[in-house]
Amino acid sequence: MLFSLREAVQWLGLAPFELLLQGLALLAASALVALKADGGEASAGLSWWGALGPLFAADGLCTYFTAIVSVRLFQDGEKRLAVLRLFWVLTLLSLKFVFEMLLCQKLGQEPKPGREQLWYGLIMAPVFILLQLLMIRACRIF
Amino acid sequence: MRMTLGQRVLLTWLFILLFLIMLVLKLDEKAPWSWFLIFIPVWIFDTILLVMIIVKMARRCKSGFDPRNGSLNLKKKAWYLTAILLKLAFCLALCAKLEQFAVMKLTYVFIPLWALLIGGMIELGYNIFCGRRD
Repeated sequence: MLFSLREAVQWLGLAPFELLLQGLALLAASALVALKADGGEASAGLSWWGALGPLFAADGLCTYFTAIVSVRLFQDGEKRLAVLRLFWVLTLLSLKFVFEMLLCQKLGQEPKPGREQLWYGLIMAPVFILLQLLMIRACRIF
Repeated sequence: MRMTLGQRVLLTWLFILLFLIMLVLKLDEKAPWSWFLIFIPVWIFDTILLVMIIVKMARRCKSGFDPRNGSLNLKKKAWYLTAILLKLAFCLALCAKLEQFAVMKLTYVFIPLWALLIGGMIELGYNIFCGRRD
């Protein structure tokens, strides 16, 4: 559409397979969120951690996949590329993980008087950091 | 007129940033605006994409167009157009739900998003497993 797959992969630093994993996880998570919101009694046992579980699973799988790719790159003698790729993808995934964790905590939090509430500015902070990193990467690459 | 990659990246980044800032302000109850106003960056971005795709499709339909000059085929552009319309439908339904204009289940709001994601995943999977990169 606006970017070809090659350009998107270059900018985000994720492999197409990792993008596919994240997309499938988003699809599954949105279905579970809809089930939780509309399911009534059927979804009473489903917590927010469970509803957003596919996103955590995708993060784990992407980390595993990245570790394998980095080890293979290291074995092939591409040490610099392996370290850079591992560092970038782990930064990306850890920021995404922190955002998801804070979001789950906020959604599952019951409002109690005197208890400090998480505010959305704080929850979105990892996403803003991620955006800055993506802009820096874009300036370096393009 | 064709936008360079840098311009496209900047455009996307800027609209995402603007939308997220407005979303945080709304969620933290610092901005008492309607959800339709919060989504303004999304509407503008989608309109730009729609215009770009329609212009490209119209250019293809003009007489004297050489189909061998490397541009994507019409079928793919039609899918892109559908994808943007699905995204617009999802955002509109979500705003209507959040503003409580329409009483509907969240499942119905998510249907355009699911169609978009399934289509996108099929295209991405085809690109990965059939080795095409466009």
